[in-house]
Amino acid sequence: MLRDISRRLIPVILSLLWGESALAQTRSVDPETGSVTWETQTHGVTLSLTQILPDQARAFYVNRGMPTAATESYAKSCVYMTVLRNDSAPDVVHFRLADWSVVSEAGSQSPIGAATWLKRFEADALSQSARIAFRWAQFPPEQEYQPGGDWNQGMLSTGLPPNSEFDLVARWDVAGEPFEGVLKNVRCAK
Amino acid sequence: MSVVQNRRCRWALLLTAWLVFPVLADLPPLTHGLAPIAEPVDAPMLRLTSMDDEIVDLASLRGQVVVVNFWATWCPPCRREMPSLEHLYQQAGEKGVTVLAVNVGEDEDTVFPFLGTVDPSPTFPILFDTDSSVLTQWRVRGLPTTFVVGPNGKLAYQAVGGREFNHPDLIDQLLQLLEK
Repeated sequence: MLRDISRRLIPVILSLLWGESALAQTRSVDPETGSVTWETQTHGVTLSLTQILPDQARAFYVNRGMPTAATESYAKSCVYMTVLRNDSAPDVVHFRLADWSVVSEAGSQSPIGAATWLKRFEADALSQSARIAFRWAQFPPEQEYQPGGDWNQGMLSTGLPPNSEFDLVARWDVAGEPFEGVLKNVRCAK
Repeated sequence: MSVVQNRRCRWALLLTAWLVFPVLADLPPLTHGLAPIAEPVDAPMLRLTSMDDEIVDLASLRGQVVVVNFWATWCPPCRREMPSLEHLYQQAGEKGVTVLAVNVGEDEDTVFPFLGTVDPSPTFPILFDTDSSVLTQWRVRGLPTTFVVGPNGKLAYQAVGGREFNHPDLIDQLLQLLEK
C-alpha cells in the first residue's frame, strides 16, 4: 500500500517541483537598452543576470581609466550585472564563485573572476584607481549574506563568445547545507 | 585616428556611459535590516583624510554610534543609499549617531561633482581610501558594505548591500545602541 502511494505521489511531487522551478525563472527586456534580465527565486534567495552590452562595458571602464586593449577583451567576454540576495534563507548564505558553473555547448566552466582578469591585465599597466574600480565592480569571489536582505550587485564575466547560450548554476550553502539556483537558456549579448 | 575622430569616440563613450546606469539602476527594493555581529570585536583602525582635508580618526569618536559606509561613485546601490545616510545624519546626528562615508579608490575631482547630484547632499565626512588598504583591513568583500561601531568602539552591526538608512526601525536600532 505504501509503495503504491509513493508510486503515485512521486510523479506529482516531481511535477510540482518542476513546475515551480520553471515558473520561478522570469525573463524581461529593458525597453531603453534592449538588455535582457533573467531572474529566479529559490530557497529564499534571489538570483538575477542582466546583460551588459559590450559598448556599456567599454564605456564604464574607459571612463575609469582602463586601457582600451584591456577593456576590449573584457567587454567581449559575455558580462552580466549579477545580483544575489538573501531574502528569507533561514541562516547565512555563503558562496564561492569558483563553485558556480557556466554550462554551454563548449562544456562547463566557472565564471572568470576578478583575480584572473587582473592577472591578464598585468601587461596593460592599469593605474591604481582603474585596478580598484575594476576589482570592486566585479561580483565578489566569495561572500556571506546575513538573513534579512544582505545582497550584492556586481559584474560577472562568463568568458563565452557573444551570442552564446548557457545555463548558470549558482551554488551556495546555508549552515553547511548545499543549495543551488539555476538560470536556464541565458543568452550573451551580440 | 585624427583628433576629431578621437573626440567623437570619447563623446560616444561618455554618452554610452550614461546608458550603463539605467541598466544597473534596475535594482531590488532597499531593505532596512542590520545584522548583529555575533561576537563584537574592536573596530579596525580608521584614520583617513576627508574631503575638507582634515584627518578623521574613528578612535576619537568613542562614545558615539558611528556608521562606517564603504562606497564608490560608480556603484549603483551606493549612490542609491547615499541620500538616506544624509537623512539619518540629519535626524540622529545630534543624538550621537555619526556617519563616515569611506570612498574607495577615487579622488576629490570625481567625488565632489557626484555629491552635488545627491539630494540632500551629504554633510557628514567623506573620507578617501585611495589605495583600498582600509577596505582590506575591514574585510569588505563587496560594495556597499556598512558597519555600525558602538559607543564602546566595537563592531555592533553590519549590512552588505544597499539599505534605507533613514527607516524608523533602523534609526531606533542605532539609538538603542547609544543606551547600552
